[in-house]
Amino acid sequence: MRRPYAVTTAVITALTLLLAGCSGGGGRDTEDGTVRLSFQSLAWQKESVDANKELVREWNAAHPGIQVDYVQGSWDNVHDQLLTAFEGGEAPDIIHDASDDLADFAYGGYLADLRTLLPDRLKKDIPQQSWSTATFGDGVYGVPFLQEPKVLIANTKILESSGVRMPTPAKPWSWAEFRQVTEKLTKKGAYGVAWPLKEPVSVTLNLGLSAGGQVFHRGADGKAVVRFGEDDQVMPRTVRDQVNSEGSAARTALGMGGSDTLPGFFGGKYAMVPLGFSYRQQVVEQAPKGFDWTVLPTPAGDGGLAQGVSPQTLSVAEDSPHKEEAAQFIDFLLRPANMVRLAKGDWMLPTGTEALADPALHTTENGWATGAALARALRPAPAQSVRGYPEWKDKVATPALQEYYSGAIDTKELKKRLVEDGNRVLARYQR
Amino acid sequence: MSLRTGRTARAGQYAALVCYLVFLAFPFLWLISTAFKPARELGSLHPTWIPENPTLDNFRQAFDEQPLLRAAANSLTAALCAALIAVVIATPMAYVMARHRNRLSTAATGWVVISQAFPFVLVIIPLFLVLKNLHLINSLWGLILVYVVWSLPFALWMLAGYVRAVPPELEEAAAVDGAGKGRIIVSVVAPLLAPGIVATGLFAFITAWNEFFFALVLLKTPEKQTLPVVLTHFLGAEGVADLGPLAAAAFLATLPSLVLFAVIQKRITGGLTAGAVKH
Repeated sequence: MRRPYAVTTAVITALTLLLAGCSGGGGRDTEDGTVRLSFQSLAWQKESVDANKELVREWNAAHPGIQVDYVQGSWDNVHDQLLTAFEGGEAPDIIHDASDDLADFAYGGYLADLRTLLPDRLKKDIPQQSWSTATFGDGVYGVPFLQEPKVLIANTKILESSGVRMPTPAKPWSWAEFRQVTEKLTKKGAYGVAWPLKEPVSVTLNLGLSAGGQVFHRGADGKAVVRFGEDDQVMPRTVRDQVNSEGSAARTALGMGGSDTLPGFFGGKYAMVPLGFSYRQQVVEQAPKGFDWTVLPTPAGDGGLAQGVSPQTLSVAEDSPHKEEAAQFIDFLLRPANMVRLAKGDWMLPTGTEALADPALHTTENGWATGAALARALRPAPAQSVRGYPEWKDKVATPALQEYYSGAIDTKELKKRLVEDGNRVLARYQR
Repeated sequence: MSLRTGRTARAGQYAALVCYLVFLAFPFLWLISTAFKPARELGSLHPTWIPENPTLDNFRQAFDEQPLLRAAANSLTAALCAALIAVVIATPMAYVMARHRNRLSTAATGWVVISQAFPFVLVIIPLFLVLKNLHLINSLWGLILVYVVWSLPFALWMLAGYVRAVPPELEEAAAVDGAGKGRIIVSVVAPLLAPGIVATGLFAFITAWNEFFFALVLLKTPEKQTLPVVLTHFLGAEGVADLGPLAAAAFLATLPSLVLFAVIQKRITGGLTAGAVKH
């Protein structure tokens, strides 16, 4: 009977020893007056994490009085995690997030207004259209620093052998031409394009800008209303027809996420896939040896190459006792050379004008030049500052667009749902 | 029922069992397959079960990029402590609930069931504030406390069922033989309850081992983070993932639960049979 007791004692002793180092941390600043800042980064790809950590190390070496602790965050559940941290007064000083996640935090008073904290250099370096993605009311609550346009990643061999004109940012395809091209590229068992529309709303709204679409319109009273006019219908109608009447887009891809389409793309089943710019990294890693691919601009319409984006942002917590120091760190992190390092690490485009001019981002290798050429056309995602948008998206737009793209409902019914049902939802948030 | 019909029914049952086993095993086998595939095979249009060029690169990359061992130690500590404490608290409570049926125990059972209906998001902010006042934010002790509280209702419910399955006549017989209440619980009830205690402990362990959201919110520094939180570092925005290393790390993360099940399973069934024979 003694053995079980011995085992129990051993287990309890081991656990006690393990827990000895488990108690909570102390205050932020050290006794010698050194300021300690915490920087929660959502970088996740190795190159990006390395770039962030390296920059933190460089800052800490150059600023012994202001030390930054790198905290690895996660895109998964980041909103709830930050909300809890804000409510509990334990938020990181410097917060990495995306502009479409900031509205609640900005209006809730959790984030510092950066207008007086940031240096002129940084303010001037980032274009106004990017600043507007992080502007809520009169304040600026984040520094937009990385952005990701949608591009067409294309199988060069299939496109060249079909004889279609290769589009460039200077001379992109129109939406009508794009339809013709995808029809021409469609052969038995192979499609001209695969639209991964598992999450159809943001793609529809963002690419809709190229045809002059807007969907959300602000009245004189500042309230947003949904409209779904001819311009808004160009992109969704094109996709619906490609899938349902022309057969030039793969129906099975409609329920896929971006990564899910890559095997079909590598296998020659899809000639093109519209994906975020950063997907190039996956293409580089996973493409079979000798696979020849290229990056093309998405089709243009009355709005040119315009498309909506929600840039990644850096913000400062309102509760931080060291807002100025936090802003100084952000300024360091986003110096042109550093912004280039972060952009390359994430395979995205920097927002800063100087960083964007860096020759490293204008090489034809891996399609950098095409993306860089699109940067000037990027606009704030249409819906990101609209209150009630998340509910409109989840309850109205997502099911309506899924049914529309699959051919279950027509444009009239889609419009009815997006506008009539949608405005009822928005009205509840804008009384 | 004729012999032939009986055989057909038995064959059907086995077929259903095989289908169910395949259904259960599919995700895990796919995870193993993915963990050993090089990146180029992950992008193949015609994926194979057996990797054509098996590699350990995903494991190497996973260990290089994330502190998996440290996170596993944190998870193990939290899960073991939570399971141990939950069982120690739940066992006497379950005994009282099962043996003394009155309004209070009925109300307690109802409350236990209701408490399972609260979603994480609803309780996290008040919980965070409570733990902050107790200086238990960014502390494994705080996380263990949450896990104990979170798993306790179901553990209680589960154990009460095991207690009810122990025939009261055995306790009465022991009492007739002159055993006191304490002696009865230690020498008669506890041994018969052992499989239930182990099963409940296993439930509490696995709940804590797999839990993500509380750990994400309550632990701030990388040194304290648990395995599920560290696994999300292989995930980007909009569902993009570093699939190979993620699969490798996730495969390793499932091993402790599997080993625990394999070791304990025989004892659970053995204990159950022992109880049945006595009854």
